[in-house]
Amino acid sequence: MESASVPLPHGAGGHAAADAHHHGPPEAHQSSRIDKQTLGIFLFIVSEVMLFGSFFASYFFLRVVVNPVAWPAKPFELPVTIALMNTCILISSSFTIHYALEAIRKGNKQGMKLGLVVTWLLGLTFLFVQINEYVHLGFSARTESFGTIFYSLTGLHGAHVFIGLTLLTAATIRAFRGHYGKEPEKHMGVEIPGIYWHFVDIMWIVVFLTVYVL
Amino acid sequence: MNFNEAAVFKWVLIFAAAGASVYLLALVAGELVGAIWAFLLALVGCAYGIRWTRDWWRRLKRPGD
Repeated sequence: MESASVPLPHGAGGHAAADAHHHGPPEAHQSSRIDKQTLGIFLFIVSEVMLFGSFFASYFFLRVVVNPVAWPAKPFELPVTIALMNTCILISSSFTIHYALEAIRKGNKQGMKLGLVVTWLLGLTFLFVQINEYVHLGFSARTESFGTIFYSLTGLHGAHVFIGLTLLTAATIRAFRGHYGKEPEKHMGVEIPGIYWHFVDIMWIVVFLTVYVL
Repeated sequence: MNFNEAAVFKWVLIFAAAGASVYLLALVAGELVGAIWAFLLALVGCAYGIRWTRDWWRRLKRPGD
């Protein structure tokens, strides 16, 4: 993506004014239009969307093409209300991580720490509610194809929440150690986990609608 | 053409609003209607995503990078 560019002598073309500020070729393996961390998380999220896409493909194949007699398999029922409450918890956590980032952008380190801690607690609550739901569902991943795809899809998302919590743990510890600052390049350690957390939230909304509602 | 936390948060709000509309429609008019509405929203989202990605990639690969 990079290209070596050699500064032209003054007056050699129409680029003399721009070349006055140009000193040698650009840094290798790095775009001047997007920082590598943001590009990295974007590409990672794209790959994860494809992974979820394959699980959703399995879900819709089982439900529409195989088309079993009952979905969910009788006599089981899904706890839609609890899942809705969990959805609200996760959406709230997106607001709190956004608050944390808005706070550090304004130089408010206390607000950032508060936002990170609350986000972490909300994420942990989500996971515990999900695990508690698994315990009380009454069916396992071996209960017909319905059980398998239910646990696969929600379990995959739960694993992503766990990864997000790990990132947030690191970000929170660093925040309390005073590693972050107001400038964008000084709080990338919060920005990137924030982007990932929003992706996890958006994915849960899709999972919730697909599995519990439709 | 941004990809930062604030831009992604905007999409959390959009997905939450879209999800709420699908949920309410499914409650009121039935699961099939909710599924059709969700599918239409997904098509709109895919079209927007394709356009955004193409534009973003074109800007990223402009000469001089």
